Formats: sequence, C-alpha cells, structure tokens
Amino acid sequence: LSSGLHARPASQLAEVANQFASECALTNLRNGLMANGKSVLGIISADIRHGDRCTVHVSGPDEHSARGALRRFVEEALPQCDVPLAGSSSAIRSSTPPRCLQAAGVDCIFGAPISRGIAQGKVVIVGRMALPTHVGTPVATDPQRELERIKGALTAVRQRIVEKLKYSINSNGVAILQADLAMASDVSLAEKLTEHVLSGKSAGQAVVETGEFFIDLLRHSESEYIRERSADIEEICLQLLDEVYGRDTRKPTCELCEPSVVVAETLAPQQLLELDRRWLKGIVLEYSGSTSHAAILARSLGIPALVGVQNARLVLTPGDEVIVDANRGFLIPRSSPAVQRYYERERRTLDRRKEAWSRQIEEPAVTSDGKRLEVGANASSPGELTLAFENGADGVGLFRTEMIFLGLADAPSEEKQFAIYAEAARTANGRPVIIRTFDIGGDKEVPYLNLPAEDNPFLGYRGARVYAQYQQLLQSQLRAILRASALGQLQIMAPMISSLEEVLQFKAAISQAKQDLTRKGTAFRPDIKIGIMVEVPSVAFILGQMCAEVDFFSIGTNDLSQYFFAADRGNPKVAELFSVRHPGFLRFLKQLVAEIHQAGKWVGMCGEMAADLRHLPLIFGIGLDEISLPAAEIPEFKKQIAKLRAADCEDTFDRAIECRNTKEVDDLLNRKQRLQAPAPVLSEELVLLGSTSQTKEEVIHEIVDAFYIAGRTEDRHALEEALWAREAVYSTGLGYGFATPHCKTAAITADSIAVLRLNQPVEWNSVDREPVCMIVLIALRDPETESRHMQVFSTLARKLMNDEFREHLLKVGTASEVTTFLARQLGLPGGRAEGDP
Amino acid sequence: MKIIAVTACPTGIAHTYMAAARLETTARNFGHEIKVETQGAMGIENKLTEDDIRQAHIAIFAVDIEVEDRDRFNGVKVIQVPLQEALKNPENIFAKIQR
Repeated sequence: LSSGLHARPASQLAEVANQFASECALTNLRNGLMANGKSVLGIISADIRHGDRCTVHVSGPDEHSARGALRRFVEEALPQCDVPLAGSSSAIRSSTPPRCLQAAGVDCIFGAPISRGIAQGKVVIVGRMALPTHVGTPVATDPQRELERIKGALTAVRQRIVEKLKYSINSNGVAILQADLAMASDVSLAEKLTEHVLSGKSAGQAVVETGEFFIDLLRHSESEYIRERSADIEEICLQLLDEVYGRDTRKPTCELCEPSVVVAETLAPQQLLELDRRWLKGIVLEYSGSTSHAAILARSLGIPALVGVQNARLVLTPGDEVIVDANRGFLIPRSSPAVQRYYERERRTLDRRKEAWSRQIEEPAVTSDGKRLEVGANASSPGELTLAFENGADGVGLFRTEMIFLGLADAPSEEKQFAIYAEAARTANGRPVIIRTFDIGGDKEVPYLNLPAEDNPFLGYRGARVYAQYQQLLQSQLRAILRASALGQLQIMAPMISSLEEVLQFKAAISQAKQDLTRKGTAFRPDIKIGIMVEVPSVAFILGQMCAEVDFFSIGTNDLSQYFFAADRGNPKVAELFSVRHPGFLRFLKQLVAEIHQAGKWVGMCGEMAADLRHLPLIFGIGLDEISLPAAEIPEFKKQIAKLRAADCEDTFDRAIECRNTKEVDDLLNRKQRLQAPAPVLSEELVLLGSTSQTKEEVIHEIVDAFYIAGRTEDRHALEEALWAREAVYSTGLGYGFATPHCKTAAITADSIAVLRLNQPVEWNSVDREPVCMIVLIALRDPETESRHMQVFSTLARKLMNDEFREHLLKVGTASEVTTFLARQLGLPGGRAEGDP
Repeated sequence: MKIIAVTACPTGIAHTYMAAARLETTARNFGHEIKVETQGAMGIENKLTEDDIRQAHIAIFAVDIEVEDRDRFNGVKVIQVPLQEALKNPENIFAKIQR
C-alpha cells in the first residue's frame, strides 16, 4: 500500500485476526516493532510503510485456519484497502501574496487551504485539548472497582457511537464514527487501560496516561495520516473521562459571541462541533494535513480553513480582526484600507463569477442546432443532491441505494430509509429522482443477508435476482420510496433485469407495497414511474414486451459492455477486448434506443460511458433522452453540448459504426475534436471601460478577474504571475498612454485579447515616462493550438503603432463597439459595424 | 538609402511587431527604403533574402535576444540597439545612420 498500513487497512486486518482465538503477532522487520495483530492501534503503531517486510506469527487452537484466512486477506483484500477518504480536494498553495497586497506592503501568513472560502473575524485562540490531569485522584485503593468503571465507560462510549451511527446518513460522518468505534473497541487500548488500573491507578488517571501514551506513539509516526489519528484517540479518551466522572466536569471548548476565526494547534471533531456555528467564520490550525477529521468536517460545514500555519497561536493576538483567504491559502493578521479595498473587489469578482456561472448552468443543455439532452446526476446520498442541483442537474438519473445497506450489522429500517428518500425528494424540489432499489450480490458483503460467496459473482445471484428471497427487505424499501414519493417526483428502477418475469415480479412487489400503504391510509404517488436498468444484453432482444410493462429505461454501460464482450473490466489481460466505443457496441446501443423510442418510452444512460466528454458526439448519435453523471462534471458537459451540432454528431456516429475497430473510432473522434471552434479571441466580457483601478497592480488584477469571471482561467495566480514575469523584463508601456501587457500561459482556456480603459491614468514605467490610460492585453494559450491567432496578435501589435487606431480606441463608447472595431481591424469574424476609420 | 532590419523580443508576441511597424514608418518619413524581418512567436517572417542583404547599406538589429542566423549578415554594417530604443526613439537610430 502506497501510504503504508494506515488506519483503514489496519482495522480490516484486525477484524480478520479477531475472528480467531489464536494469538497473532505482527513484526515490522525494518524497525523491529512488534504489534498485536488484533489491535488497530497496535498495527498502526508499528509504523509499517510502503515496502517494509513484515512477519506474522500465529499460534493457538485454531492457528491453521487463522493463517489461511490471514493469507487470503493479504493476497486478495489488502490491495483493495487503499482508497483515499473522500473529500481531500487538491489544495492550491501559493507562496506569494497577490501583487496588489504585496505592493501595499501587506503581511501575509501562508497555510494550506483545506476548505475553500474567505472569512473575516476576531481571533479566538483555543488551547490544545489537554487531558484534564487533575480530575479525581490519581491513585485508587480498589483496582477491581476501577476496572469495572473503565469497562463500563468503554461499553458506554461504544454504545453511544453505535447509536449515533444509526442516525447518521452523511457518508463522511459515518466514516468518522466508524473510525472512532474501531478505536474504542481496540484491544491494545483496553489492555493498556487495564495494565494501569491493576498497577494501582484510578480509572481517570489510567485514561489520561493511556491517552498520552498512544497520542505520543501516533504523533511520531512517519505517516501524516496516522499522526492525524492522534486527535481521534484524544476524542475517545475525553469521552471515556466524561463517562468516568460525568459530563459536567468538562467545560465547552469556548464561547463565541461575535464573528470569529478560531485558531488552534489542532481541533478534535467534538471540539469543532461544539463551537457556535453562527459565529464561527474561519478556522486556522498549526497542525498540517488534509485528512484529519476536523478538516473533513470543516469542508462539509463549508467553513473556510487553513492548516499548517506555523506558530499561528504565537503570532496572532486574540481579539484582532483577521482575514482568512482559504481560496489562495493565506491569512492577513492586520486589516488596513488597502486590504479592505482588495477584498471588496474580490467579493464583487466572486459574486459576478457565480452569477455568470449560474446563468449558464441553469440553462438546459441544448446543441447549437436546437437538440435538447437532459443532464442528470448520479448520487448515493441526499447530501450530494445539493451540489448536483447547484451545478445545474436536470434531475437525478441514478440514485444508488446500496450504501444504505452495506456496512451495517442489521438491515436499515423503513423509517431510516424514508428519511433518506424524503430528503432527496425535498432537495430535488420537483425535479425527477430515479431511485434504484438495492443492487447487492455475492461480491458485496452484507452480513444480515448471508449471501454465499460465489466463484463468478458478476454472472451470479445479484440485483433483482435476489429479490424473491428477500421480499421483506424489498417491501420495506419500496414502502419507504413510495411514502417519500408523496413529497416529490421520485421514480423506481430495478437493477440487473434479464427477463420479463423479473419485471412482472418487481411490479407485483410494488403493487403489494402500494396496497399496504393504502390500507394504512399513508400518502404516496399512485402513478409513480417504474423503470429498469439495461445491463444484460438479453433485455435488448425482448424490448417490445418490456416496453409494454415499464415507463423508462436506463442503460448501465459498465455491466452491459462487459456482458456484451464477455470480458471482465477489471482484468487487464482482456482489457483490449473491452471498449464502449467499439463499433459493434455503438450499433447495439443505437438499435436499443431506436426500439425503445418506437414504443414511445424514455431512455437514459447512467454508466461511465456517459461521463466522458469525448463521447458526447456518440451520445447524440445514439439518440439518448438523458445522460446521468457525477455532479461535479455537469457544468462542463452543459458548456460543451452548447458548442455541438446534433446533425454533425449524427454524421460522426454513422461513420463510427462503419469503422472496423475501436482505434478507428478513436481516431475519428480525435479528428472531430480538432474541428470544434475554440472560444473567440474577442469577447465583450474582456472589455472593461471606465475602470477605477488605481495602480498597475490593480489594473492587471482586474483584467485577470475578468478572465476568471468569463471562465477563461481557473488559476488566476498563474495568469497574473505570467503577466508580471513579462513586465519584469521591461515595462510594456509603449507610450502615448498605452500599455500592452502580454503572456503565454497554460492557465487560460483560449487565446484572448482584453481591453481596459481607465478613468484616471496610472503609472506604468512607460518608455515615454507618461502614465497610461488604455491597456490592450494579449494572452496566448500554451501550448498554442491555433497559430492563426498569433497572426491576429502581431497585426494588433503593429496597429497599436498607428495613431488613428489608438485614437479610435480611446474614444469608442461601448464594449460592443470595441469588439466590433477590433474584429474588423484584425480581420476576425464579427467586424461588420459602420463608422470605423 | 537601402536599410534592412531585424526585430526580436523575449516572448515574441507584441514588441517584435510593434518595433517593426515603428521602424517601417520612421524609415519612410526619413525617405529610406526598408525591409524588416521579424523573429517572433511565429518564427521568422518577412525573411531577408541574400539579395536584400547584399544590396543593403546598413542593417538595424532592434533585439533583446540573439539574432537567428546571424552569419547571413557577415560583411554588412550593423547597428544593434535594444528593442525598446526602436519604440522610444526610432528617429535617433536613423539620425545616427545619416551621420
């Protein structure tokens, strides 16, 4: 494992070891550290890193089977354990402040932004959550009694976590609670506690010393991930102390009463949750790392946060007003008029960008020749729906429900499911949400179903095939969905259908659930739409009969293609056989969709094929009504669709199905890609007349912001620095009050010309030493895609030496007149206005 | 007088072409014949031929970087100035030539 044997693989290994009575000792041969294989804490304390050799020694009554199980685990399951925790977005870290602030002499303290946003508030310093050493007496006279107290406390803490888990539906929250539960159940923790108590210490003292021992151990780990787990140990120890001495002994972390920025070495999740959300505006931590639970929580609560800010508690003064810029990755310890002015402008930029962005994503996805495609989102929790609709999803094309069923000791109750589906319906606010009933099979472990492991689970007992055996489970899910359908436009979809009988049984199950609800007088949507996944090729040859029974279809390309080619997607040896762009598969999809449309039914696609931008021409060629993809991808898809012509797509598709193999299709698509016109060089969004910028720094910043608002750059820092790198050679002020800043950078999406005219001239170190009032900026995309633009730029540069050209630019009245004038002068499309010189 | 010139700047996006335009206008004002080769982001344009070079009385290099293929100009009298000079005071360059 690339990040070593960290907490999650360790807890799975311990889980395997704990199934047997035998002792299991793990030794790291690199450092000689030994660990009890049944203890998560023990295993991670052995600090096993990538490439370390280890031995496992098993002894006891069932050692033979234990050894077999461990070997299987190491060979099969362990390599799968390395999936990173969700949500650690890549941190953009800049090492220099923006030029405007630099020029104003503003101090910045840098950190790693782990939750984006800008916050302003008074500094509140929170001390490290120290274990209260002076609660109760350190020694005890009756070790047995203290041992009982410890055991009781451990049980109570575990129970409370299990209880919380039952009501937690946020996936990040569940992951945190499960990690806490593993810590609280750890055998090494219990052993250490017992050891201390038996040596005459009080229960409280034992918790304190045990906590310190493990915190110290984890803090010295080589792995950042494990070092961060020390905050979780602290959390568990605090909960134990609460149990031993009662809740009231601990004071809340601190009271906030005005907009505040909380500064701490590190924050335990509990501490963070105790802070008053009304006043908590930002978080600054000295400790670094983006996988700490506090970081994950900050992200999910949307609180701007910086980590790795060295000595933050020393350099910041409580009560001072600070600004946390977690978009750029720094904080400003003292505000000033320059800082206020900068952030006022920044706020305006962010607002305008958001407005421009939302205008675009709220529009339906329509090609330039008027063909509409619904763009839905795939989701597996109601929390993801908020982002999906913010990104302009037309609906939810696939709401997976397996997550609700996996990883639990018992089946989820109807009530818990109802709460989830109801939240989804409410969030969708009238837009359709397709809920797929549970798709569980031999490859997913669900303890309460007792499904036997199969040699070939993908061709086995899974999806709708298991419904007959688990009628009660299906009924409770169907009732929950139906009840929630009263609150919104929910639809039901069955997975892994291969025959008409399965459809009929599924519909009968829905009828029964409806009858039950009617009998109880519970509301539901009686005409709820029912659909099926198309994942098994057999469905494609009985579509006529299927269409008579269901309202809609959704193509799951992941399974459908692997059944179509009889090739396992996960097996690299047969990977070449498998491609959704194979002409045969494309033809198959086209026929499928045509037949469904003939019957007047709706068909979407929710597999990975739909989530690849390159496939858009094929999607239109196939003729789908909808595609459903990860929420984050939706805005880009909508943008690209608007640039396509459906007629061209159909043409491309017709040629694709005549290709002989996947490679020929790929070549065809690549050629098409190049024909797509990039964004025009001129755009009114990049013409800023009447600017109130006061310095060269502000002018360049304002133009860079215009690029950002127009969606021509996502990395303002890189674009700004590229422009300044050119200014460093010598000033681009060319005299006559004109300047031509320029750069070649990969930070922009298209070659661009920007124009800015100032109300008041600013100093630019021009060749004639006069200030400038007119800026014509040229930005060339690197690597250059269209060399014809360089011709445009050189023409522009030459024209700038022409007196009449400059004079005209100085007096043009509106942005649209500027672009028309330039287009005409430079021989670009759109230059048809009259009255040019 | 027959004059040839080469302009080149570090990025080759703007100043190479601005300087070329400036030299062309100024030369015309002084009554000279001029041909300017630009060495910019598009490579060499308006390339000076062997004939151009042989017939020229003088060459102006308004450059901030090395002139490409400099050997071509062996045997020609060259005035080299920073590119900015061609933008700032092109008249000075031509005045110097006349002297």
